[in-house]
Amino acid sequence: MEGLSSKGVLSHLSVLAVQTKSRRNPPQQSTRVKELKAEAEALMMRREQLKAEIQTHKSLQRMRLSMDKGEEEMDEDSENSQLLQLMAKHSQLKDLLYAHHLIGGYDIIKTSLGKGVCVSVTTAYEGVYLDTYNLEIDLKPVLRITRHNVPPFIPLNELAEQNNIQTNIKAFLDVLSQHLNAHAGRKQQLKLVKERFPSVDVMESNVLCSILVLMFTVPRQKTAVLCTLNYSDHTRCLPTTVHIQCEGRTVSTDNQGPPSTVYNPRLCVMSMLSIRTLKHNKFKCPSFIY
Amino acid sequence: MNEENTEEVKVLEAQIEQLQAEVAQLQRQQQNNHKDMTFNFSGQMQEALLYLCGQSVVRTKEEVVSRLEEEVKEMEEDLKRQTQMNGINLNSCTTKTLQSGDSQLIQKFCVSGYCSELNFLVEFQLTEFKQNQRCQREISDLNVVMDATDLKSFNGFLLNVEEHNDHLLFFRTLRTFSDRCDDRSRTFQHLQDKYPSIVSLPGGCRSEIMTLNHPQLPGCVLFIHWSVDVSSEGRVTPKINLLTKIPERVLQLFPSQTVGGAAKFFQSLLRILGPEAALESVIRAICP
Repeated sequence: MEGLSSKGVLSHLSVLAVQTKSRRNPPQQSTRVKELKAEAEALMMRREQLKAEIQTHKSLQRMRLSMDKGEEEMDEDSENSQLLQLMAKHSQLKDLLYAHHLIGGYDIIKTSLGKGVCVSVTTAYEGVYLDTYNLEIDLKPVLRITRHNVPPFIPLNELAEQNNIQTNIKAFLDVLSQHLNAHAGRKQQLKLVKERFPSVDVMESNVLCSILVLMFTVPRQKTAVLCTLNYSDHTRCLPTTVHIQCEGRTVSTDNQGPPSTVYNPRLCVMSMLSIRTLKHNKFKCPSFIY
Repeated sequence: MNEENTEEVKVLEAQIEQLQAEVAQLQRQQQNNHKDMTFNFSGQMQEALLYLCGQSVVRTKEEVVSRLEEEVKEMEEDLKRQTQMNGINLNSCTTKTLQSGDSQLIQKFCVSGYCSELNFLVEFQLTEFKQNQRCQREISDLNVVMDATDLKSFNGFLLNVEEHNDHLLFFRTLRTFSDRCDDRSRTFQHLQDKYPSIVSLPGGCRSEIMTLNHPQLPGCVLFIHWSVDVSSEGRVTPKINLLTKIPERVLQLFPSQTVGGAAKFFQSLLRILGPEAALESVIRAICP
């Protein structure tokens, strides 16, 4: 009021005049202001929402920490503590279930008819997740694999029999996982060899990836080398025998012998796969033959 | 535009600017919180979150709670099933988000649990790449901690697993290893219960040693050393050996092969009868 009187009646009148004038053409006046007001309001809502979310997150975090430690929750008086508790429990269960999935648990689910279960076998090589295989198993009257997408060259029925699927389904799944992971690993090795060494010719390979014949040339000597990797143990992703042939000379090694730095199959494969950047040294391995 | 409006616009613009800054600050805070612990809000969780943040007017609290409760119950059952099937109990799993973008998500997992009597803590980084609608997942920086005071054979294996980020192999082998250890302790326990006067387990039923004493011959002791070896590639092989502690003089008096070559004979017995029956027949031979 003070301000008003000091400014005088005239100025007040002029303000009123302006207001009336502006009221006469409302669209021009309000659009911008309206827009801004709406924007401000939206932002305010967003701010409140974020604040609430952060608050909830913090409460949940606190509850999860004590829940993971196995401590009993202190009863908070907040009206929403029951809901928060449930949410913490929910998040804990969700994380545990995801962890089971990540560590290669068999992701068992009941089939819709309730007669059997579905299980999945995850494969990975050097940390990279590869194909997942699924099996549908009827539980009654006897355990029976009804449907699956396991490749035909994996002796599924034999494995089921050998490992007493009827009494010990876990042992069967472990062995199956071993076979599938070994196969996935061998397949991935073949893929990596093709990708990383375009100069290497893959002369021969099979679907089981149990035999791999590679041909390459030693850079300086210009000698052709034929390398045969034999994976006779199908539960392993490393060769059991490595056979290197060049210009009439032959060197063989099998995994049973004492590991030598040069002919150790693991090192052989690994060095081929890992020496990516050193192009000139790429096939240093065969040059040890001389 | 008139003066009044310009002023109002200015005030509003300033207000908006400030709000934007505040929102950005809060978003950063939220992201940082997710770095500490990531929660997955979807389905009923999202409903609950919306309710708590005062944005859900459709549902009452009771509704939200009961729906969430139902889902929690289902998940508990699911977890029970997974645990049973996996043979591995998980105590906790925490997730931190290290990096989150359109094509790449990096999360750090810390999983702890136990398999039979063996506790473990596993940490790893999970990277998800999205490329042309295909999602590739990769595990790196695998770190396994086990309170392995008596797991000497495990060390080489763990090194190999960590080097090759082979977490699937780790859990598969852990399961097989603890199954074999359980077999051993079950057999030891069974034999001790059946022949308490002869069998003793100095290190408890989970240890590798079982001793057999003849009640009337305190000087003669047979030791059964049953170890479970794990190769660096994760092959689990139980090894059972018979060791004898028989005084020199007895061996001189009875230079028979049965006493001296006991260890060798035991191996044939093992091959023919299997562990439990072989051990039992040795015990029966001592039985007065």
